[in-house]
Amino acid sequence: MSTTAIDREKSFGTTPVGRAFAIFGKALAYAVMGLFSFMAVFPILWLIMNSFKSSSDYQLDKIGLPKEFFPINYQGAWQIGDFSILLPNSVFYTVVGTAGVVLLATLAGFAFAKLGGKAAKPMYGSFVIGIMLSLSSLMIPLFLQLSQMDLALGSLFVSMGLIKDSRAFHLFYNTRFGVILVYIGSGLPLAIYMITEYIRGIPTSLVEAARIDGASYWRIFARIILPMCVPIITTVSIITLPGIWNEFALINIIVGKLDLQSLPLGILRFSGSRSADYGKQFAALVIGLLPMLIFYMAFQKQITKGVSGGAVKG
Amino acid sequence: MASARTSTRQEDKSAYWAFSLPAFILYIFVFAFPIILSAVISLSNYKGGQMFGGEPWAITGFKQYSILFQDSAFWQALKNNIYIVLVSVFGQLPLGFVFAYLIYRKVVKFGEFWQGILYVPAIISVIVLGIMWKFIFAPNGLIADLINFGNTHKLVAALDAVFKSGSTLSDDGIRYILKSMDPSVVGMLGDNPVAGFKEQLLPGGSLSIADPVAFIGDMKNYAPKWTPEFMTKQNVAMIPIMFVTLWCWTGMYVILFNANMQKIDSEVIEAARIDGATEMQTARYIVLPALSGILINAAILCIAGSMNQFALIWAMTEGGPMNVTEVLSIYMYRTATIGQNYPLSNAIAMIIIVFSFILIGLTKLAEKRMGGKE
Repeated sequence: MSTTAIDREKSFGTTPVGRAFAIFGKALAYAVMGLFSFMAVFPILWLIMNSFKSSSDYQLDKIGLPKEFFPINYQGAWQIGDFSILLPNSVFYTVVGTAGVVLLATLAGFAFAKLGGKAAKPMYGSFVIGIMLSLSSLMIPLFLQLSQMDLALGSLFVSMGLIKDSRAFHLFYNTRFGVILVYIGSGLPLAIYMITEYIRGIPTSLVEAARIDGASYWRIFARIILPMCVPIITTVSIITLPGIWNEFALINIIVGKLDLQSLPLGILRFSGSRSADYGKQFAALVIGLLPMLIFYMAFQKQITKGVSGGAVKG
Repeated sequence: MASARTSTRQEDKSAYWAFSLPAFILYIFVFAFPIILSAVISLSNYKGGQMFGGEPWAITGFKQYSILFQDSAFWQALKNNIYIVLVSVFGQLPLGFVFAYLIYRKVVKFGEFWQGILYVPAIISVIVLGIMWKFIFAPNGLIADLINFGNTHKLVAALDAVFKSGSTLSDDGIRYILKSMDPSVVGMLGDNPVAGFKEQLLPGGSLSIADPVAFIGDMKNYAPKWTPEFMTKQNVAMIPIMFVTLWCWTGMYVILFNANMQKIDSEVIEAARIDGATEMQTARYIVLPALSGILINAAILCIAGSMNQFALIWAMTEGGPMNVTEVLSIYMYRTATIGQNYPLSNAIAMIIIVFSFILIGLTKLAEKRMGGKE
């Protein structure tokens, strides 16, 4: 491509001026890279540092190191912020949600890649379109749908004499079950895309040979497909997990009770109610960011792989 | 034999449905139903309450959309969404490309380290990050402190310089100090600031300062005080949000682009370099064209993400002050939760979906025009 343009400036890199430019360029590259990397982590380090200051210390000095080490902020934040409720909830949603996404997506991926009939193409296509849809734009209709289904089911059960008050009945709205359903559904499109493409790479002859030997599809799935899918399942889990852990817009509208809140919900509530209690606020934020920071440090290689693999399709 | 084959085909079919239906039903449940429901309610006069068997409601046509198009808050929100799309597509992507290229070509060493650092913000909850940035941009936040720290330092340096030649102040010395002081304080010293300074600010009214260190300590209070108005002034309130948007997700594109650059045949690049092409030329004429497909996909991801941004802005400003940082999703949320206006809120949901698909379609069209690869 455009070799003429390259020819024209060919001598550029070999002249002394060119070499000076190259050194300058390298210095500039390091400067820009260093500056942006510093920018990326400095605010987070600043946050962690300030979580060990007392509130008055923070107000007087936002830049310096803590004058007095104040780890008690964490104890206060943990208690007032109800983290003993939020943290287990987040773990539950994330683990069950991620497992559900991976399981359903692997099953469907097998169907789309190896069993495809006439319906496979449009069905798979609809999932691929779903990658571009974000559920957060659907939070209001989703809220209406879940709460109205509860009302409808509630009235049905009232008319059957099973329960007394249709408004007290909750299956989807304000329940763990509803949150899990929504989280699994929202994670499916990307997971199905990645897993289907992966299973397509598994030789069909393996499946056919097993069929000729008389194996059922369930057996083939469990004995051939699932073991071969371990790498892609790992990748998909690792990119689904932070998404569920950090999700806010949906759980914000489908959960009202404190007992069901996740970390992001609880942290925002905490921050709103104690805006001047800086020390505890910062401690709460650090509690909120540490799990994912640790997760990232532990799985950086896999996360990097997942990010580059998960975004190949639009 | 024939019957055996049909029974196999039957088995294939039922296996297909058994494997694909659980996912598909859930997908319909959380994506397709809400979209249909949203379209229906946006055309109705539904007021909340029980939808089936409650207060009756009916389809009333496109009234909500015409209300929406006349609502200045809607255009404001749409404009903000477009700002975010622009800063994402023309900020995150080019920056991501530049960093990925520097790492890929090993212009900078320890590429993996830099890439790892740049991605850190993307893995953390935007709620946590949004609140954190709120503290940084606040009128009495970190940025204000950093700037004011510099201002104080400048004033102290001026005082030190004056005291170097002795502890007695001259008129010139005072004039020099006044230059580094808060203009509003200087204004209060009267028409002749030097005289005012002597009258009001000197301890004991004496030009010879007995304790310069204590004097400097007192004078620190008169350093210029800057109060950032990022979060309070309406016409600049979007700037922090756009900055954080750029800050948060650029690292994701560094990883994406770098991973795809690794797939380029390195011999082509080596050959170009031997032929004397500069790094700039290599990036422009070899790497950029090779990545065009990925760039388009990244732009689509970027647009879809920007159109749906909610949590970050909610944590930073909740759409304020005076709704100037509202994006469509926040406007939709406010209309439903505070206004209880479900038809209007669902009309906004429909607009978000249609608008993101229009933008994605335009991106695809641009790709075709430019003859990019599939």
